[in-house]
Amino acid sequence: MSLADPRVGSGYALAPEPSLRAPSARPSARAAAAGAAARQRWLLALSWAAPVVVLIVWEALCRGGYVAPHVLPAPSKVVQTAIKLASTGSLFSDLGVSLLRAATGFAVGGLIGFSLGVTVGFSRLAEAAIDRSVQMIRAVPFLAALPLTIIWFGVGEAQKIFLVSLGVVFPIYINTILGIRQVDPKLLELARVQGLSGWTTIRRIILPGALPSILTGVRYALAVAWLALVVAETVGAQAGLGFLAMDAREFLRTDVIVLTILIYALIGAGSDSIARLLERRLLAWHPNYAKGAR
Amino acid sequence: MSPVAAAPAVVVRRLVRRYGERTVIDGLDLTIQRGEFVALLGESGCGKTTLLRALAGLDPIDGGSVNAPGRPAVVFQEHRLLPWDSLWRNVSLGQPEDGARERAAAALAEVGLGDRLDDWPRNLSGGQAQRVALARALVQEPELLLLDEPFAALDALTRLRMHQLVKELIARHRPGVLLVTHDVDEALALADRILLMRDGAIAHEIRLSDEVSLQAARADLLAQLGVVPADRRASSPASSLSQTPA
Repeated sequence: MSLADPRVGSGYALAPEPSLRAPSARPSARAAAAGAAARQRWLLALSWAAPVVVLIVWEALCRGGYVAPHVLPAPSKVVQTAIKLASTGSLFSDLGVSLLRAATGFAVGGLIGFSLGVTVGFSRLAEAAIDRSVQMIRAVPFLAALPLTIIWFGVGEAQKIFLVSLGVVFPIYINTILGIRQVDPKLLELARVQGLSGWTTIRRIILPGALPSILTGVRYALAVAWLALVVAETVGAQAGLGFLAMDAREFLRTDVIVLTILIYALIGAGSDSIARLLERRLLAWHPNYAKGAR
Repeated sequence: MSPVAAAPAVVVRRLVRRYGERTVIDGLDLTIQRGEFVALLGESGCGKTTLLRALAGLDPIDGGSVNAPGRPAVVFQEHRLLPWDSLWRNVSLGQPEDGARERAAAALAEVGLGDRLDDWPRNLSGGQAQRVALARALVQEPELLLLDEPFAALDALTRLRMHQLVKELIARHRPGVLLVTHDVDEALALADRILLMRDGAIAHEIRLSDEVSLQAARADLLAQLGVVPADRRASSPASSLSQTPA
């Protein structure tokens, strides 16, 4: 989850508050505000300087021979490897394979989770029939199903997509139900007073009301999807980032392994950004999301 | 006030509504004409909101009949705007799609928000939000308009402005109106007829006309509600101005 933590590397928790720039502030207050703003800027700079220092120390230790290249390569070496692999195109084809797996698995699992969630959210009968079973399956760590998926599907694409889907289903399912159940009953009463049909009530009131919760599920599911893919690819694959890493292990190419780890991290952060962008677009009406503040 | 057209907006006959063992409305009769403004006063728990919900079709009835020619429009105490829809989409909720924006624009202009069509509800003050709720009710051109303490949550000045706006809008659209309120002065300011509800039935009725002094009517209502001792009340709502309230 830490790969997809929204606050990693983003500076807006440290951004100065608007009230500090209020023009009506008295001189003493203004001076204090300026001091506070300067301190905020300093803290922001520090938050970025710290990881840079870590990189420099890492580089120095490797160059000085304190760390063997097969244990941990220098950052500069990782960058060179990235450029080399990128220029042959093999990096992008493996990356493409991995992204396609994640996207397919996410789409399949998301659709199943959403459909089940909507069904259970609207029908007490469906809840009685489905919910307990789903919650029982959810209690199993889905990665524990890995050996079983290999027997069922081998180590091909189906196995990876299945594992990703399995991880994605539950967060989407739970948050969809939660969102539907949390819709304000007073708005449902309004729907009756305004003479809305059942379908119009769902379209205009229930789904928009459930959307914040559903998007929270999407954000969580993206992180889970990526985790599932890393595990599935590492266990066995003929292409993809995980294959690249395991192939490199055979030849002690630590630089390639570190590179794939970094790419996994970047994509995790990237998918989280996409989820947040979606929230800001779709929830523009919501006071908590209006200015990207959260 | 204005003459009342002889076309009922709603006719209620021997209405009964129970919650479990408790009978909240007990054989109530009520007729509201189109263009007539009726205010319903009463203490909390006397059944006035229950009556309004029965007329709105939100609650089932346990006896008697409610006959209204069309679907009534309702304005609640809270604005109940959809936070995810723009103002014009809120106003046109439940309206046919054709020309919805134009009709919503006209309705919003009537309540003084014609320049805020695409704004979000969260940018509105309490009074503005309640004006949008009024526009949403009136755009349906209802024959019966039900107002469930719609101004109770507003500050005093905003409330007075809303009274003025409601008077103008009602005079133009002329639905039958049932206003449920706690506020005696609000009832006196707006209504043609004031009903006082007690123990699930209409206990008292005052018809406001040019012959009835507002002060006498006010004294009468306050006495009926037990705010002022009964011996100091006006003997009849039609009595002269010399009867000043305590």
